[in-house]
Amino acid sequence: MSASGTPMDPNTRREFLRNGLRVAGLTGAGVAVGVLTHHTASADTVWQIDPRKCLNCSRCATQCVLEQSAVKCVNWFPICGYCDLCTGYFEPQPNGLNTGAENQLCPTSAILRKFVEDPYFEYTIDESLCIGCAKCVEGCRLFGNGSFHLQVRHDRCVNCNECAIAKSCPGDAFYRAPAHDPYFHFTA
Amino acid sequence: MNQQPGLSRRGFLSRAAAGGVVAGWSTQGARAAVQPASAENPWRYDVDQLRKVDPALIRFEPVRQFPVGHAAARRVVFGRHGRLFVAAGKSVLALGPEGQRESAWDVGEQVRCLRVDDAGAVWIGVKDRVLVFDANGERTARWDAFAGKAYLTGLTVTERDVWVADSGNRVVYRCDRKGRLELRLGERSADRKVPGLVLPSPFLDIEAGADGLLRVNNAGRHRVEVYTRDGDLEQSWGRPGVAIDSFCGCCNPIGLALLPDGRCLTAEKGLPRVKVYSAAGEFESVVAGPASFAAVGSAEREQTVAETAHDGLDVAVDGEGRIAVLDLVGGTLHLFRSKA
Repeated sequence: MSASGTPMDPNTRREFLRNGLRVAGLTGAGVAVGVLTHHTASADTVWQIDPRKCLNCSRCATQCVLEQSAVKCVNWFPICGYCDLCTGYFEPQPNGLNTGAENQLCPTSAILRKFVEDPYFEYTIDESLCIGCAKCVEGCRLFGNGSFHLQVRHDRCVNCNECAIAKSCPGDAFYRAPAHDPYFHFTA
Repeated sequence: MNQQPGLSRRGFLSRAAAGGVVAGWSTQGARAAVQPASAENPWRYDVDQLRKVDPALIRFEPVRQFPVGHAAARRVVFGRHGRLFVAAGKSVLALGPEGQRESAWDVGEQVRCLRVDDAGAVWIGVKDRVLVFDANGERTARWDAFAGKAYLTGLTVTERDVWVADSGNRVVYRCDRKGRLELRLGERSADRKVPGLVLPSPFLDIEAGADGLLRVNNAGRHRVEVYTRDGDLEQSWGRPGVAIDSFCGCCNPIGLALLPDGRCLTAEKGLPRVKVYSAAGEFESVVAGPASFAAVGSAEREQTVAETAHDGLDVAVDGEGRIAVLDLVGGTLHLFRSKA
């Protein structure tokens, strides 16, 4: 009630609180529906990298929220040349074509080289060592067939709503893949 | 009692805004100090120094450069009267000496390799067979398909032989001009001391010389092999390495051509280089280095894995020693001549 005797404000405190509670309730319900919808959609898709767009910038090694990045190098064997002089494995100017640490391109020695038959060697990735820096990917792409490529590994990825690597990816190579088929398929 | 004046609402808001600006600025400064600039990527695959070529070694000069006008240009050869023929997708493009397009015809399949003989007939290799066209683009012959995983990538024609390089089966065929298979060459054989062709990527090229010998690029072994008409390995030369006299990467050279005096031109991918070797295989000079082909090997573009496998150069020579280099990525033809 106004002390000066002016007409009463039609919105009493009780009404104001009641209306406020209504608005808050509706807002909360909307948020709940939105979150639920988003979570349902997120569960259906996961983060993945399109190797055709990847620029091998090394940010996958540093931007992931995990202590060790969920992005790993993968070798696509159907187009791997099984080269003796693998430019994804060896430094550009190796002292020799052997497994000496000084000859290896990978900063963590995560690539394993195994003799198959003259003159072919098989290259596999030890994912517990791979940091996703893409140095080998660039070496393979530049000189070879591009069988080394980066992929988000879903035994590690926590599928953040806003992937920190995707946010900083200069090639816009990250996309949402179906959760039931989470890896990129080459068609070459 | 003299009471201190309180902080007015306006004063409070202006001070809060100023404080926010300062806090935001200092936070960004701290972030910049922690995050290294992208140029400081400690894992960068650095071949910048290897892309430089000593200018003293470059003994050829560019004459002309022009776009082919087709995104999928793959091979180039010289025809008669200075004309150039380019394999581009499913088409063959005939270009005049100045680069102007004179004609183009659709082959119906991806053209993998081609050659123009002395009579002007155009021999074309598609995936698994040879097609022959006359100079007007009318098809005059269609051979039977080669067996197995045939993937033809090289073709050369002499007066009596047609040599066909099959990178899918890792073999070179000698056929007569009617398409009858006479000899297989280049397969591993301990008896003939032939080590076998190693082809991590589909680049098997061949060149028949005036000396009657056939040059074959054994890219996975980083060398050029010289075979007799009967398939004996006469000689081989070349070694792996990024040095200018060596063949870089996993598999080079990817293309061959012969100068009229018998010297051999090689084309490389990765570090796009065209070089000259003596007939005996000694490095002599450079036609053009990576600086001439900026697009090859560049990551600043979208590409499929299939395109990566075609990321390089092709080279051709005419009877007067003019050199044509096709940049597969840029889709441009570069013509060179000797500085001497």
